[in-house]
Amino acid sequence: MRTQGTEEARTQGTEDAREVVDEAGGSGSSVEVSARTEVRATQRDGRQDRRERRPDGARRRAVDPVKGLMHQHRELCERAIDPLEIAAGLEAHGVTDRTAARFRHRDVFSLAEEMYARVPRAGEPAEPPETRGTPEPRAAWVATALLPGAVCGLAVAGMHALGGNLRLVAGIFGAIAVTAALCVALRHGPLHTPGRTGTATRAWTGWLILYAVCGDGLLAAALAGGPDGPWPLATAPALGLALAVAPAAWCAYLFATKARSRLAVSRGLAELRAAVRPLLLGVFAMFLTVLAILLGLSGAVLGEDAAYAGAGALGALLLLGRLLAAHGAGHVQAAVLGAAAGAEMLALASAFAGRLPGFSVLAVPVEAAVDAGGPGLVPAAACGAAALVLLVHAVRRLACASAHATPEDAS
Amino acid sequence: MSGDARLWCDRLVRGLGQHEFDVYAFSRSRQQEDEGWIALPPQVNRVRTASLWSADGEGVAYGRRARRRFAEAYGELAAALCAGGAGAAGARAGGVGSAGGAQGARGARGHGGAGVSADGSADGTPKVPAPRSGRGSVDASEGADMCVGAEEDRFCSALYGLAELARDEGGLATALRSETAVQALERACRAPGAPRAAQLARVPDLLAVTAYLERALRPLSLDWYEDDGLGSVDLCHATSGGAAALAGLLAKEFAGVPLLVTEYGVQLRANYLAAAEEYPSAPVRTLLAAFHGRLAAEVYRKATLITPGNTHARRWQERCGADRAKLRTVYPGMEASQFAEVGESTECADPGTLVWVGRIEPGKDLVSLLHAFAEIRKDEPKARLRIVGAPADGAEAATYLAQCRALAAQLFPDEAEGVHAVGDNPVSFEELGAPEVPDLAEAYAAGSVVVLSSVVEGFPIGLVEAMFCGRATVSTDVGAVVEVIGGTGLVVPPRNPRALAEACLALLRDPERRARLGAAARARALELFTVEQNIAAFGSLYLEIVSHCPVRREAVDDTGEPLPFGVPPEAHVPGTWTAASETTTGRSGERRAVEPASARTAPRWVTPTKAGAGAGAGSAAGARAAFVPGEGAL
Repeated sequence: MRTQGTEEARTQGTEDAREVVDEAGGSGSSVEVSARTEVRATQRDGRQDRRERRPDGARRRAVDPVKGLMHQHRELCERAIDPLEIAAGLEAHGVTDRTAARFRHRDVFSLAEEMYARVPRAGEPAEPPETRGTPEPRAAWVATALLPGAVCGLAVAGMHALGGNLRLVAGIFGAIAVTAALCVALRHGPLHTPGRTGTATRAWTGWLILYAVCGDGLLAAALAGGPDGPWPLATAPALGLALAVAPAAWCAYLFATKARSRLAVSRGLAELRAAVRPLLLGVFAMFLTVLAILLGLSGAVLGEDAAYAGAGALGALLLLGRLLAAHGAGHVQAAVLGAAAGAEMLALASAFAGRLPGFSVLAVPVEAAVDAGGPGLVPAAACGAAALVLLVHAVRRLACASAHATPEDAS
Repeated sequence: MSGDARLWCDRLVRGLGQHEFDVYAFSRSRQQEDEGWIALPPQVNRVRTASLWSADGEGVAYGRRARRRFAEAYGELAAALCAGGAGAAGARAGGVGSAGGAQGARGARGHGGAGVSADGSADGTPKVPAPRSGRGSVDASEGADMCVGAEEDRFCSALYGLAELARDEGGLATALRSETAVQALERACRAPGAPRAAQLARVPDLLAVTAYLERALRPLSLDWYEDDGLGSVDLCHATSGGAAALAGLLAKEFAGVPLLVTEYGVQLRANYLAAAEEYPSAPVRTLLAAFHGRLAAEVYRKATLITPGNTHARRWQERCGADRAKLRTVYPGMEASQFAEVGESTECADPGTLVWVGRIEPGKDLVSLLHAFAEIRKDEPKARLRIVGAPADGAEAATYLAQCRALAAQLFPDEAEGVHAVGDNPVSFEELGAPEVPDLAEAYAAGSVVVLSSVVEGFPIGLVEAMFCGRATVSTDVGAVVEVIGGTGLVVPPRNPRALAEACLALLRDPERRARLGAAARARALELFTVEQNIAAFGSLYLEIVSHCPVRREAVDDTGEPLPFGVPPEAHVPGTWTAASETTTGRSGERRAVEPASARTAPRWVTPTKAGAGAGAGSAAGARAAFVPGEGAL
């Protein structure tokens, strides 16, 4: 048997040569050797049969056995980034050192090295960036985003329809309902923030909105020596802002998806920055336009002064803060909101403090400001400055790649 | 799944009662943590766990200075990953390896009430079982590359720089996810000399790598390396590569604790396979491979001893730069008692029955087995085949089982004794726990020949069980089969039904040979694969390491004041020191901490030992004589 095998090896190729060498240097107990010899004998018979049938095929395979193996594992070889990956893949497909010996290699590693070296790797195929299908706006968050506007509209309508004490009750319940709706709206959808919103942020936001509703009237009353009884509330900005939650969510969604698709195709961070900055500014401008329209509409419907500047600046500030927080950069938000709220408080406090004997000088700046631009100038200036600061920060921060890491990357 | 790994670590801790253990464990998922804790033996002093799956609580915002430090260290790390990563990976042995980052441990499950520290003074020069070094060393000519490349040095210094930063300033998580990190990575990728794949990295790739590194480097942010944590032990036993080994590496770096790394499945390899699944992008895989390779090389370089679980793991470790002098193959141990009755009984099962036992999945190649059985039936019409096992998890395995059943029904029609008897199929599919096969031992006992037809196999546990049962086996030549069977069974090439059939027929026809092979197999398994040998091997390795690399610490009294002459000078004298007296230090005996960080296949525990300085050194010195390698710090 062995003589025959040797002859074959000389003429036919590699596989039998390996077996003869194996057998000659065979180790292990006699039991194993005999077992293997038997098995091999049968194998060889089988192969001989095949060879008689297809001598050409057998010879061709014998010339370059690795080529066949490469063909078999073509995908593995082409995508492998180093020989060890091929080795790992081959082993996962059951190739062992003894299989490798059939390809005239000492072990799988050297076989993998040959395969890695031989695989054509011309012009690394620039993989088409995965077109991560932009998720369609989901009905759930669209509905919840519309909720605050709807609730606020109902509340305002109720307040207008009712009178006296009932009006007060409607106002209080309306405020509670709008707050709840806002919480629901922010919990899902594109305005959702990954971490918990800090208590400070919540408190400052609440104060700023409260001021938008009743601050201007109070300030005017304070400067006029009041307030004597209830001062007029500005419901139009509140309604406008509540209605603007839906466009804000949509803008945030637009920004997130567009930025992510830009990210998927950009080759470098600088390119990404260059692409995202105009996008952010565009989205922001769009939101401002929509907000102005909504404020104007609600002012017209309610017959109030629309207070574009104050409410508009507040809306811009809140949107930017929320965008930053949604992209994992929310820590500046609290400070900036706090500064804006502090400025408003200061204005109110100084207006009241100016009434104290001897401290009238304190109220002078506020009086001057109100004389120049009406009580709406105070929130407009405070929120506008804060929004500007946040805008600068957002332009820098949201253009970063790390702001757009997908949740699955980060988890 | 990870049960095996956990079982192993658990047995190890319970089996080595003379040492004290601290267990440091990583958990990999919430599910693990929810599984609860188990009671611990008294030699476990404390258990600390950390999760690798959530980044809770370590988000510290750094100040300006710390940020600069971070940027520097991370930049170095990124540069080390890109420098020559692929260029050198072409053929260099030392370059690439992997020890994984992200997989965590099974730890959380294995802890319970910490016991009291039992003072079993590690008495006595142990009867050392012959160290099983040298087994199955393949590939002798390709020496592990001892010289440490410049990039590798760079990698290590960056890694330790980050770890020091985390120790001084608090958790790294926020910084690791920051834009600074992404920018550093981009700069490194675009630097001249970076591998081509890295040059092509796009922004999503950079983000993916950053996120991965953040997860992989979570062990850096832990507070385990203080003097009262891992810093206080005598030996750190990392029970897998990856996160556990990284923790051990830091203990080595910060406190000089010798490191023992056990890998039953090589992390590097697992990471390659996982990355191929998870990340289609070549740049990501390039960078991750470079990271794992460098980390593995560093772990292997710093480890005092490395114990692969089989030759296959050993080859990979050598390939990744492990010094051959440090490698000791320690085979996994398996509980043999349940098979004792079957193994020792002389009565023979049904002589014509073949048995296959295992989890049914495509890698087991049952189709080939069925075809082989068809050949067998041609010559031995009385032969029967019993396939015992449940499908593995997943739809694919279930489909495969259905396919195999269909094939069996097609190949072998039901047959009966006579015209009036009810027919039966010669191939039966049974599940463990059914009345016919109540347990594993019964399953093996049911056949006269046990067949293994896998095309892919790691360490063939089923084969070892068959060996314990004293059955003659026919297996395919895959994975560690040849190493395990070692001539006590027949081995045929995979995907060769005809050869399989021939081998089975040979055994079916020759009862005497069956008996001979079965007895030899049982003897071999009892010698090599029992729990006892595993525990004994690790026990002696612990003593060997503690004796060669004792951790020198200043002795302190209860209030933390240095204790003058707390450690007598004789403690450091090499040579036999008999009476390790309790008077030298307050604490005698060894304390060791296990850090289970078990993964699916690879057990991953980190087991640091801790010996009271005097007694530890004493017993160490006693053990020293028995061992060969000379890299000790003596």
